[in-house]
Amino acid sequence: MPVAGERTRGSLPGQGGRARITVRPGARSMRGRTPFAVLVVALLSGGLVGLLMLNTALNEGSFTLARLKKQTTEATDQQQTLQQQIYQQSAPDALERKARELGMVPGGDPAFLAPDGKVDGKAKAAEDSPPVPRSGNEPWQRPGASPAPGATPADPGVELAPAPPAVASGSPFGSPSGSPSPGAAR
Amino acid sequence: MTRPPADAPRPRRSPSGRPDARRRVGEPRRSADGPPRPARPRPSGRPRPDARPGRRPAPARRPASGPKTIRLADSRRRLRLVTVCLLLVFAIFAGRLVQLQLLDSDALAAAAGANKYVRVTLPAERGSITAADGTVLAASVDAYDITADPTMFTPEASHLPDAPEQAAALLAPILNQPKEKLAAALHLNPKNPKSQYALLTARQSPAAKNQISDLKATLLKQSDTATCRGQRLLLGKPADKGGRQFLDPSCATPLAGVFWDQSTRRSYPAEGLAANLVGFVNADGVGTGGLELQYQQQLSGQEGHSTYASAGGRRVPTAGGSRQDPVPGSDLRLTVNPDIQWAAQRAITDQVANAGAEKGYVIVQDVRTGQVLAMATSPGFNPNDLSSARADQLGNAAVQDAYEPGSTAKLMTMAAVLDTGAASADTHVTVPNTLQRADRVFHDDVDHETWYLTLTGVLAKSSNIGTIEAAEHLGPNQPAANKVLAGYLDRFGIGKPTGLGFPGETRGILAKPEDWSGSQQYTIPFGQGLSVNALQATSVFSTIANGGVRVAPSLLAGTTGPDGRFSPAPAGAQTRVVTQQTARTLTEMLESVVTDEQGTGNKAQIPGYRVAGKTGTANRVDPKTGKYSGYTASFIGFAPADQPRVTVSCVIQDPVNGHFGGQLCGPVFKQVMEFALKTLQVPPSGSEAPNLPVEWKP
Repeated sequence: MPVAGERTRGSLPGQGGRARITVRPGARSMRGRTPFAVLVVALLSGGLVGLLMLNTALNEGSFTLARLKKQTTEATDQQQTLQQQIYQQSAPDALERKARELGMVPGGDPAFLAPDGKVDGKAKAAEDSPPVPRSGNEPWQRPGASPAPGATPADPGVELAPAPPAVASGSPFGSPSGSPSPGAAR
Repeated sequence: MTRPPADAPRPRRSPSGRPDARRRVGEPRRSADGPPRPARPRPSGRPRPDARPGRRPAPARRPASGPKTIRLADSRRRLRLVTVCLLLVFAIFAGRLVQLQLLDSDALAAAAGANKYVRVTLPAERGSITAADGTVLAASVDAYDITADPTMFTPEASHLPDAPEQAAALLAPILNQPKEKLAAALHLNPKNPKSQYALLTARQSPAAKNQISDLKATLLKQSDTATCRGQRLLLGKPADKGGRQFLDPSCATPLAGVFWDQSTRRSYPAEGLAANLVGFVNADGVGTGGLELQYQQQLSGQEGHSTYASAGGRRVPTAGGSRQDPVPGSDLRLTVNPDIQWAAQRAITDQVANAGAEKGYVIVQDVRTGQVLAMATSPGFNPNDLSSARADQLGNAAVQDAYEPGSTAKLMTMAAVLDTGAASADTHVTVPNTLQRADRVFHDDVDHETWYLTLTGVLAKSSNIGTIEAAEHLGPNQPAANKVLAGYLDRFGIGKPTGLGFPGETRGILAKPEDWSGSQQYTIPFGQGLSVNALQATSVFSTIANGGVRVAPSLLAGTTGPDGRFSPAPAGAQTRVVTQQTARTLTEMLESVVTDEQGTGNKAQIPGYRVAGKTGTANRVDPKTGKYSGYTASFIGFAPADQPRVTVSCVIQDPVNGHFGGQLCGPVFKQVMEFALKTLQVPPSGSEAPNLPVEWKP
């Protein structure tokens, strides 16, 4: 209120205005300044603290997010690895090999038991003499030269414990027809 | 506003109620229409004419005469000038604002978005391929590409004289790669020494990645000792101050420059099982062979994307964005029975090896539904290890090879002869040793005295000459007979696509009857001079087994969409080719091929089941030269003959050890058919084979 002095001079004849004009604005402004300053400071510090808390919350959230994402990835990886192992071990080829390791052979000509107890065909113990003699060739290339196919399923990409340094590119190439594959372990 | 008493001589007040200080120094009063002056406050209608002049002598509207007044007039003009300038500036601002906000807003928003928003592609999960019982043949799994930054392996950066070799020695057992290859990748790329990227191995399992990351962490921990920290401080210092160039091996972290990126891998857990059908994907995960290629669209799904605002590489959580979820691909379920498929692959692999043949195929088809239960080829391949397979092994020869079927095609000729009523199963046929037709002399497989055979016998002993003679009765003259035969061949599906739509499938070769050459019209009845694929040939026998109704073969049982609902594939189209009576007679004739001691297919007998089938031994057209060379041995049949369930076909190309179809493919048929009947739990035949007569006494 810089006009206060002027006003005092300008309103010399009106004495009643003097007390009001000179004192009031000064007192009011002095009184009004402190709460305003306090308010501003409070607002500023409140804003800063709010911002800090917001940032903290956000960062905390992103840490949680990252941790949970990692957990999900690990769980997914594990689930897929185990699922793949189940798939591999339940594949007909793997089952056949397991069965052979247990000493089982494919059944030969079937015999039938009629409802009246009569047996059709010759019931005899199965012997390993398939109509097509086994050649030793594998229907497809076995990866690596892993000699223990029962212990580790053959897909190298999904094995939990990779085999000792087997040279992958040294696996048998497509065996030309007629000659037994060098990679035929069994 | 407070006012002084009215009677006192008052100072002039400005409209805002303040005394006008400037006016007190004797300025002339300005006109009342000064720009910033609003309406003057009216003090309650009291006249104040005396107040106006007051003590001031200066008249109100006189032009200024002093230098001060000139300045004031200037200031007004200046004010106006400033106002105009400001208005101009603001007008420009406003115009620009309009331009930015209204006219160019879309383009600008897009340009801003491009900088502000990050678009991430969300890959869709590729559908799986399963066999009929749910055995997974192909599935997509998470994988990691192992990469490296070669610039971190230089002696200067790693402080090791041989960082690439050390890292390669650590990585080789995990990645199953030769050390030398890895070390070469870790050295600076000579073509691009600044390159910070080298792909060590693509698509490794999470387990391999975890091993590498554990190893990396362990090494880092081990090297974090006081000794090592001391050594690191001395690096790069001159030698006389105890400086050193390299770290001790115990302090080295040779894997510091090894990283990994997430990717996906197509896994074939059953390995080579049905690999010829399933096919394979390329390095980008796009189907490039077999069903992976044929159903690429359904399997791949639709990739989604996520858009979010990013500042300083971090996501701005409140800035919105959009997200479109990917639509996963559909899962395919095939009609293939994995056990029968395996048995078929086992049998054909063994027999192709035993016979020293080039290749062979086995197809197993359900008679009633036309569904393919197995389709095996040998040699096969392992889709998990494509690099070690030859290019010619990667296809599905069972539908991609066209071959001359030979005697198995005699079934179609016999079907035509019986169906038109030109002959019956016991019609007497005299078969001389040779037969002169057109420009050629025809023989049978074996040299023989004149045979006296029934039509059944012609089929059982697979006589070419007898078949030519029978086919000649199809019409009053040869062109007419050709036309009738061609009509039947067409209805059996010869020369037409099988309907599978399999990539690279052949429709075979069958000329129009008008174009059959002089000798071709006599060779086609016994299966030379036309080409089929193995599925077409199998379908012919399935048609007879199904009572003369052809069911189009199918390989896809159905698809499971992203919503998890299974939608079965439409059933194969049915067309009647021959009458049921003809089909029954033909079945009985085919049985004598297997049961009669003079038949060619004795090796296909299965105790307990009646088997109907036909051998084929054809001269093979070498695909390389286009000339006849070698043989095609085949056997196609179905069982049980009294109530057919399954058709099995076996074809072996270019065998060396033996070449008769009955000899080579008979056992394969028996092994696969026996396995299929047992797997499908087919009850045994309840009756004996009819044993039609094959000979007659002249």
